[in-house]
Amino acid sequence: MSLNNWQPVIGLEVHVQLATKTKLFSSSPIAFGAEPNTQASEIDLGLPGVLPVLNKEAISQALKFGCAINAEISEKVIFARKNYFYPDLPKGYQISQLDDPIVGKGSIEIKLGEKSKIIGVTRAHLEEDAGKSIHDLYSNNSAIDLNRAGTCLLEIVSEPDLSSAEEAVEYLKKIHSIVTFLGISDGDMSQGSMRCDANVSVKKPDDQELGTRTELKNINSFKFVEKAIIFEIDRQIKKLEKGEEIIQETRLYDSKKNLTRSMRSKEEANDYRYFPEPDLIPIKISKDQINDVRKNLPELPEIMKERFMKSYELSDDNAELVTINKETASFFEEVLSYKVSPKNAVNWITGDLFALLNKNDTNISESKVNPKHISEIIQNIEDQKISGPSAKKLLEIVWSEGGEIQELIQKEGLEQISNDDEIERFLDEVISENQKQFEQLKSGKDRLQGFFVGQVMKKTSGSASPQVVNKLLKDKLSK
Amino acid sequence: MKITKQDLKNISLLSKIKIDDKTSSTLIQDLESILTMVNKMEELETAEINPLTHPIESTQTLREDIEKKDIEREKFQELSKEKDSGFYLTPKVIE
Amino acid sequence: MSELINLSLTDQVLGLGDKSFSSKEITGAYLNEIKKKESLNCFISVFEEESEEKALIADENIAKNKARPLEGIPIAHKDIFCIKDKKTTCGSKMLSNFISPYSSEVFSKLDTAGAITLGKTNMDEFAMGSSNETSFYGNVLNPINEKLSPGGSSGGSAAAVRANLCSFATATDTGGSIRQPASFCGVTGIKPTYGRVSRWGMIAFASSLDQAGIIAKNAKDAAIALKYMSGFDQKDSTSLNEEVKDLQKEVDADQEHVIGIPKGLIENIKNDQVRDSFKNAISILEKDGAKIKEINLPHIEYSLPAYYVIAPAECSANLARYDGIRFGHRSESVSSLEDLYVNSRTEGFGKEVKNRIFIGTFCLSAGYYDAFYNKALKIRNLIKSDFDEAFKKVSSIAMPTCSNSSFELGSISDPVEMYEQDIYTIPANLAGLPALSIPSGTADEMPIGLQLIGNYLEEGRILNLANKFQKLTDFHEFK
Repeated sequence: MSLNNWQPVIGLEVHVQLATKTKLFSSSPIAFGAEPNTQASEIDLGLPGVLPVLNKEAISQALKFGCAINAEISEKVIFARKNYFYPDLPKGYQISQLDDPIVGKGSIEIKLGEKSKIIGVTRAHLEEDAGKSIHDLYSNNSAIDLNRAGTCLLEIVSEPDLSSAEEAVEYLKKIHSIVTFLGISDGDMSQGSMRCDANVSVKKPDDQELGTRTELKNINSFKFVEKAIIFEIDRQIKKLEKGEEIIQETRLYDSKKNLTRSMRSKEEANDYRYFPEPDLIPIKISKDQINDVRKNLPELPEIMKERFMKSYELSDDNAELVTINKETASFFEEVLSYKVSPKNAVNWITGDLFALLNKNDTNISESKVNPKHISEIIQNIEDQKISGPSAKKLLEIVWSEGGEIQELIQKEGLEQISNDDEIERFLDEVISENQKQFEQLKSGKDRLQGFFVGQVMKKTSGSASPQVVNKLLKDKLSK
Repeated sequence: MKITKQDLKNISLLSKIKIDDKTSSTLIQDLESILTMVNKMEELETAEINPLTHPIESTQTLREDIEKKDIEREKFQELSKEKDSGFYLTPKVIE
Repeated sequence: MSELINLSLTDQVLGLGDKSFSSKEITGAYLNEIKKKESLNCFISVFEEESEEKALIADENIAKNKARPLEGIPIAHKDIFCIKDKKTTCGSKMLSNFISPYSSEVFSKLDTAGAITLGKTNMDEFAMGSSNETSFYGNVLNPINEKLSPGGSSGGSAAAVRANLCSFATATDTGGSIRQPASFCGVTGIKPTYGRVSRWGMIAFASSLDQAGIIAKNAKDAAIALKYMSGFDQKDSTSLNEEVKDLQKEVDADQEHVIGIPKGLIENIKNDQVRDSFKNAISILEKDGAKIKEINLPHIEYSLPAYYVIAPAECSANLARYDGIRFGHRSESVSSLEDLYVNSRTEGFGKEVKNRIFIGTFCLSAGYYDAFYNKALKIRNLIKSDFDEAFKKVSSIAMPTCSNSSFELGSISDPVEMYEQDIYTIPANLAGLPALSIPSGTADEMPIGLQLIGNYLEEGRILNLANKFQKLTDFHEFK
């Protein structure tokens, strides 16, 4: 993609499903994948005469987020009705917030290689989720499931401070990390616990005003956020360079075809007629309440990172990597609890394990590899019981099948041969098979040393200790 | 206060209620006379006044986050004319 | 048995208690009367068998000395209150098949207190109307003169009490819907402080104005009934968490009264008979020892316009849930989602309801919010402040309930003329104050009411004053 001196301007609206047990305004349970409409009470169905009662926990979780990003907290929280008709919106309005959102202006710092950038958060407000319309179940009907209707959402709106798809992804990852560290969401994008809309426009550096923006709806993975934004920036630039205009509209990202397309059906008359929700009285938030939340805030990634750098002598980069999310950080600390060196722990987690996670597009809590595995692999290396290549092989076995490290070492015969006599036998075999090369090595061709070590490793399927092979080879040369 | 045909069309669209041509002229008359009565509000200068949404200042009691699991789907769905396998049905929506 | 139905609630409770008569007798007597006066059209449903069964249980409880406060007292509920497994129509075709899966708090409280529900009373559709002519079930006739309107929207409840079809009836009041029909039918009606009675299960018209109350034969009866209906309810966020006073005691207590009369009010009463009767009522109270003071309510004349923005705006959202999908009328001619919405709603709602939805939608729509809705809320603030100021000097405020006595059915077709029925009653709704209407004379041979408005949670005080008046006069007696 060529930017050709165009500057992308991106703002994200992130919907985070809060980790409450019940809905925002009803006591209905929230569980993913329940039978249709079994979690929709008379309140969620919007039957006549029912009334909303606000969930205390939702307020408390929203306050945690506000404090975590050092945002202004509203003293008075007001809910508003956003009016529109859609079958999965039972009341014909969504209870949301317009004025006095619970969380006001705040900011989030993102890392971009060496540099960091502050992204402004305009606001974060509480609102209820809609249900689900399923269009492909019946040939002549759409099916409505209202289990999700009324679920607590925190909508986090950023300033248009992001200038690339990469930054957008970093910002989204940061939000993910904050909400999971705070324990206010599971942040699971695949189950819709985190959803993202992106406002994208492009402009020339000298332009005072922003270009016409499009809104990309419901992008449900980090990867798709990146791809959708890249596609959209490219589409807009191409259009503008052809002298065409950008239409302000809502576009849907099609992940199968990797493109965005216009959603004309949603374009009709968006006059939401917001007004203060008369069924709810404004909620007052006291200074004491805010201070209390602040005091009891769990350790956030930045602070944890600093602690890791200090207590475990990790580099800035390594500390950043293991605090990328709560699961990784606790995984790391659990590995350390088995008394292995922090440096080795970081290397194994962020190196080989991350590579596997990335390759398979899964997260650390879902993998079969647990902290005990990693710690035992490291211990076995440190005790020179297995070799590096064997360790990698072990990890791959545990990754795909799980199991006990000690048993696997036995079963796969990965125990390192550190018995000198045994290794010497292999070395002698190699020397006798490669007499010519041995003579050359003797006469000073040092680079052949690696060749001999390699051959021994090959013969022993990697279970010989390279240090021992080197030592024995040197002994033979000096004879 | 004048209500135009365009206003009526917009109101009808937003409220999902049909306004047929037969009744639209009397409806315009009705709405205009109501809005004229309402327009009396303009006599008052209210720039410095805060809007009041609730008559009574009080603190709202919030709900503890405790699940109630006695949802009777079958009973609720008896109220609906079109449902199947636990779903409510609408004519197919083409996105 | 007909003398039983003429008794006041107070005497009925006493008579049942000392076994002068049974609940079976009194319930049977009311059921007979309901049948006899079916043409008045007071009821939408009557629960004959169930009432008879409940009467037997009540008599058992009384025999076992386990009588609850309202044990065996036959009452009626306005058909706006949901009762579990009973049809609740709200006077609308939209809900003509709605069998409620839950009960309103009002029903539950009175049911728990031992009252027997004879049936559900007719009303203006969704409580929108001042003559009972907007009901899908046809208008109610005024029992005193069947050519005339019983008033609205609680016309069925007021007429049922007047025609001796129940001991007392529940009702709701958004802009005068208890007091105006009470005035037209020569009975006592009280709308308590906003938040005093739970709105759970009471079908919403305008949430910030709706309040449930009582229509009864006299102030003392109303006090007893209201006592058992009031109280905090966790299911209603706008419910007041304040102690319920013993209204039964307070209604008979020895209290001093300072009555405020708004400056310019008397001169502006156009109807001579209404003016004379008002002056007469005040002088009766003054002679009895009440102090009379002039007060200033400078913004009260803006109540009607402010109300006709706020109430329709809230109603336009409250009635959006009637979409034909989950409950309520669903059109037969449907080929698209839009048809389902538009046809169900167009067929299901009557003209007046539609008019209010249109007005509300218009006032909230883009470009009009500030000029209409926000302006109305500011005026609401001014009106409340006027009352706050006045109540520093007086303990209650007196006004006529309505500027006229009952009118002929079908005689008012101009909507604004109809809305002006509520000109004296609306201010108490905007301010959330308790207000009642008691018979205070006649105009054109039909009853007219005296309205008493109290300070917040001072229902007892205005009931005490009303009771005083009723001890001195016989306007409230059915002749």
